[in-house]
Amino acid sequence: MKDGLLVGIGLLVCLWYLSFSATRLDRLHHRVETSWANLDGLLQRRAAVALELAHSDLADPASSLFLTAAAYEAREASIEDRSQAESGLSGALGLLQVDMQLEVQPAEQALLAEISELTKKIKVAIAIHVDAVNRTRTVRNKMIFKIFRLAGNAPLPMTYEFEHDAL
Amino acid sequence: MSELKPLRIGIVCPYGWDTPGGVQNHVRDLAEYLLMQGHMVSVLAPAVDEDALPSFVVSAGKPIAIPYNGAVARVLFGPVAFARVRQWISHGNFDLLHLHEPAIPSLSLLACWAAEGPMVGTFHAASKKQRAIFAVGPILEPVIEKLSVRIAVSEAARLTLTEHLETDAIVIPNGIFAERFRNGSARPQWIGNTLGFMGRFEEPRKGLSVLLDALPIVARAIPNVRLLIMGPGESEDVMKDVDPQVAGRISFLGRLNDEEKSDFLSSLSLYVAPNTGGESFGIILAEAMAAGAAVVASDIPAFAALLGDGLYGALFESENAVDLANKIIELLRDDEKRTALALGGQEHAKIFDWDNIAEQIFSVYEMSMVGSGPVRLASDTRSWSRLLNRRGDD
Repeated sequence: MKDGLLVGIGLLVCLWYLSFSATRLDRLHHRVETSWANLDGLLQRRAAVALELAHSDLADPASSLFLTAAAYEAREASIEDRSQAESGLSGALGLLQVDMQLEVQPAEQALLAEISELTKKIKVAIAIHVDAVNRTRTVRNKMIFKIFRLAGNAPLPMTYEFEHDAL
Repeated sequence: MSELKPLRIGIVCPYGWDTPGGVQNHVRDLAEYLLMQGHMVSVLAPAVDEDALPSFVVSAGKPIAIPYNGAVARVLFGPVAFARVRQWISHGNFDLLHLHEPAIPSLSLLACWAAEGPMVGTFHAASKKQRAIFAVGPILEPVIEKLSVRIAVSEAARLTLTEHLETDAIVIPNGIFAERFRNGSARPQWIGNTLGFMGRFEEPRKGLSVLLDALPIVARAIPNVRLLIMGPGESEDVMKDVDPQVAGRISFLGRLNDEEKSDFLSSLSLYVAPNTGGESFGIILAEAMAAGAAVVASDIPAFAALLGDGLYGALFESENAVDLANKIIELLRDDEKRTALALGGQEHAKIFDWDNIAEQIFSVYEMSMVGSGPVRLASDTRSWSRLLNRRGDD
């Protein structure tokens, strides 16, 4: 009788822990998705602003061409090539910003300010996303998650390698 | 940021609201800044005197004193406090929670456990390896993991976090109202060759004894040097160990209000921070710099980082009174160098202004809320059906 009670309690604790762990992993998966959506949105916005810059009076034909190409590449890149394409865009923007110190009209000034604002946010968004991915991978490697297949069929999140210095 | 939709923000302060401290000041300033921006802010904190609280603070009960990190921490936990936390969360309808120091046993940890939704955590403390933290790591980990974004107030705090809990954080420093300090005006009784010290001077880690040992050496080179000490404590206990020859040069000012504090810092020749450790950020250095005082500080990691490795203030070898004395003498004798240091420091202090810091924090708030609903109680969402349904919907 007493043994039965203990086994029952033990089972309940195990079930609770499984439920707790499943919730935990579910939350992490959710965070990987939302942090990626956030980062993706910011990067798209940056590409759009870069295109506007390329079409402004500020850019000479050569840098305009360069910037347009980089922006399109970043927009259309597949997930595997994304980080490389984005770094390319960062580089192109960096070149332009160095050249543009000279005389800047208010309209272009606003675009440049928006770019630097976005860059700051993107840095934070990258840190958040990378952390979410790493965390999820660490947790999924734990025994209990493997044995009970708590991750279900969710794909293992990909680490998104951004070079910090490129931004 | 003011043109955005106002948010309902819940901030949890783990330490007693009545006792002065870095975390409490940070929470108060942040809450006031966010309120000024038009957001709805509610702060949950332990408090002794519930009648003396500002309107935006909700008391969770009286704090309990426990020894922690070499000092006494006034925290609050237990079933009654937990119930208060849950009640505050469910009645608050918050868009997001900002939890301070969620890794210490207090209200923030309870809130992190109880809530589900966008949560930002700020880690203030920096400490060397603590066995206790390692031991509780596996318990804390899943809780800390619930935070959507983690902020560390300094590189030192970030390192502590990565070492203890294997998780990364974004560094956003503490904020100061730089304007208030810039507007401080020198008072005649505090000018001259004056050295300033501020803080709870009885605590050994504040390092007042190092400065008191250095004072006789300084006095030999600079005959009219004086030391002004501001802060709460028993001055008799300190004075009985002091070299009698310099006793007359030391004055205790007790506690000062905000205006007196900025005047005090603006009047000094040098602000001295001889802390021997246990500091994570060093807000007082930022304040002293903003007020236009030249700063001499011990070379502990937090201070070295804040002073740009000596660019914005002089550093001396921690706990070395002779080195401190030499640095003080050098600067008191060289007006030009001292003024240059003070001006550079004042310029540098602008990056700690709330206008700048709050914008960074707010941008983190925005990101933490992407794709999530408002804050709810975890118990409303965690249920058996969730586990059973999982296999089906994947």
